[in-house]
Amino acid sequence: MAESKPAFDFQAIWDSRLILLKGFGIAMFSASAAIVLAIVLGLIISLMRLSRVKPLQYFAFCYTQLFRGVPLYVLIIWVYFGLAIVANVNIPKIPAGILTLALLNSGYLSETFRSGILAVPSGQREAGEALGLKRREITRFIVLPQAFRIVVPPTGNQFVDAIKDSAILSIIGVPELMRMAQQQANVLYRPFEFYTVAGLLYLLAVLIVSKFLTRLEQKLAGYSKSTKKVKPFEMVQDTTGSEVVA
Amino acid sequence: MGTYNFNWHVVQDNLPQLMHGLVITLQISAVGMFLAILFGLFLATMRLSQYKAMSSISYGVTQVSRSIPLFVLLFWVYYGLSLKFGIKFSEFQAGAVALGITGGAYMAEILRGGIMAVDPGQQEAALAIGLTRFKASQLVVLPQAIKIVIPQAVNVYVGLLKGATIVSVIGVADMIYVAQYVSLQTFRPFELYSFAGIVFISLTLSIAGFAWLLEKKLSHGRVNG
Repeated sequence: MAESKPAFDFQAIWDSRLILLKGFGIAMFSASAAIVLAIVLGLIISLMRLSRVKPLQYFAFCYTQLFRGVPLYVLIIWVYFGLAIVANVNIPKIPAGILTLALLNSGYLSETFRSGILAVPSGQREAGEALGLKRREITRFIVLPQAFRIVVPPTGNQFVDAIKDSAILSIIGVPELMRMAQQQANVLYRPFEFYTVAGLLYLLAVLIVSKFLTRLEQKLAGYSKSTKKVKPFEMVQDTTGSEVVA
Repeated sequence: MGTYNFNWHVVQDNLPQLMHGLVITLQISAVGMFLAILFGLFLATMRLSQYKAMSSISYGVTQVSRSIPLFVLLFWVYYGLSLKFGIKFSEFQAGAVALGITGGAYMAEILRGGIMAVDPGQQEAALAIGLTRFKASQLVVLPQAIKIVIPQAVNVYVGLLKGATIVSVIGVADMIYVAQYVSLQTFRPFELYSFAGIVFISLTLSIAGFAWLLEKKLSHGRVNG
């Protein structure tokens, strides 16, 4: 096959470093903007789900199910092409990508926030009532600050997912890392090198974010009564709570 | 702003092709899940091994394959590996392998959690009555771990099913690919993608609901929970 060419040509990568880094920046920006938007949306939806007004509850339930059930590929095409066709709304690529990621993640985050809010002991709310605070004040000043600490680890995991999912934005032409890697791989005919480096950059981003999250959790755990440490990567709760000695 | 005239006949007329695409999606996600279970079992066994080096390697591989986006893996396997090492994957095979790598990392963690959740006394008892380590795992620990693992494994499958929608980018003729192809001919992308979306939402939600029921049912007979 390609015997005459050197086995691994990382010179091509080095020459394209600025393009790749720019793509990396756009990917990180998209994921960050999306998660901020998703936190706002998710919080609103979770409060709606917990409200006493039935129609709000139903709306929030359907919202959550919709965005947790739909594949990202379909959602992004809906937002970018569908809205343009049906509602005549033309959203530029990057905002469309951010909006899509935000909608998808807000579905998951609303469930996270809901369980976080429910995890705050009801005595806290009752104590607030006993002090004569209004319902809104109790939520704002008593429940949410305590729920915040509970939801930090799962929200961080959602951010990690958003970073990984941002690669799919290349489908609609967002010039993020994967799109740039694809473009350079096609031009320079070095797919293995480019996709490897793209993978490594995503890996790096995910590892840095996870490291930072572990720090943040440790810091937050210092303030809270519960000393239970939740690692960002540990999806599986060890039900025995005992470590197997290897 | 003119109102858009929906034309759902497009979906009706192309239903057989779309359904054929759905079958491909289900097939590729099933093969991907099978590979994920094998890979996950391999990683989990290594992770729980007595040898520190094995355990560390498994931990590293799990973290790496979990941190790299499926989309990148897909291109890496299909375009990267085939050109560099001459491994000729078909589109379907490449898609299944990429799904297997991603799913395997999740399955490894789930299997490890399941095995660790079985009371250590069970293994000790099995060893005490003279079973070998392998037999103890096979006959005593794994059957109990499976109960814990199945509902979570079903959730991983839901993830893979959703992930499998992107395999059309390397040319697997799944439902999204068919929707794309037909919409190029009919200029009705909205109806076709909406149909695909609705099918996927119903599928994923019903499977997730099934996992939830399974979890309730299986946790019934669990001794140590």
